[in-house]
Amino acid sequence: MIKLLFFGRLGDSAATAPELFKVSEGLTPSAVRDALAIEHPLLVEALLEPQVLVSIDRVIADWNQPLTDGCELAFLPPVTGG
Amino acid sequence: MSRRVVVQSEDFDLADEYRRLCELDAAIGAVVTFCGLVRDCQEQARIDSLTLQHYPGMTEASLNKVVVAAEQRWPLHGVSVIHRVGALLPSDQIVFVGVASSHRAAAFQAADFLMDYLKTHALLWKRVESDGQRSWVETRDSDERALQRWTQGSTPP
Repeated sequence: MIKLLFFGRLGDSAATAPELFKVSEGLTPSAVRDALAIEHPLLVEALLEPQVLVSIDRVIADWNQPLTDGCELAFLPPVTGG
Repeated sequence: MSRRVVVQSEDFDLADEYRRLCELDAAIGAVVTFCGLVRDCQEQARIDSLTLQHYPGMTEASLNKVVVAAEQRWPLHGVSVIHRVGALLPSDQIVFVGVASSHRAAAFQAADFLMDYLKTHALLWKRVESDGQRSWVETRDSDERALQRWTQGSTPP
């Protein structure tokens, strides 16, 4: 399984999204996003915005980077600190 | 070079942070400090409270990266960055940037650079509460434009 995290406004859209996702051969962040589309269309719409980044195990990653069992996948909207 | 990067919910003491930078070494001739406060309005709407969300570990790493970029640009003796997270109220201190250098130009410029990059690169998300309504703060074009003066002829962090 992989752990899913949604930050900022993505968290609101992900209120009913799963916290864990079953890992399969060749799974990538974009494949996870696509798999969420049926049950969480609003969330996926938000994830498709070009400024949304992903991190794997707390390192910024590519949407096509393979995911491994036990990893933590986070979806990060544009930041607003300071 | 001393580097202090902290993400915390507690408040910080400006005098303590200033003293820490002054006491690093005797070659320091300039200390510039900046403290950001929570404003009571956003886009002309009154704010009751502000909540800062962070990603433990990754937020600290993103702040550290910005500090390293400043260290590579200016001859600095010490940098402190403190960012508060969690629930805050108008007038609360939210962010501290302090820079110690031998001369003032480097200290002023590095502090300015750190704030510009922190606004756009630190992994933090602000949510405001106003009249019982919660909303996430949108990024501002002006924050992105502020970076342009630092990126001409160099690689951004």
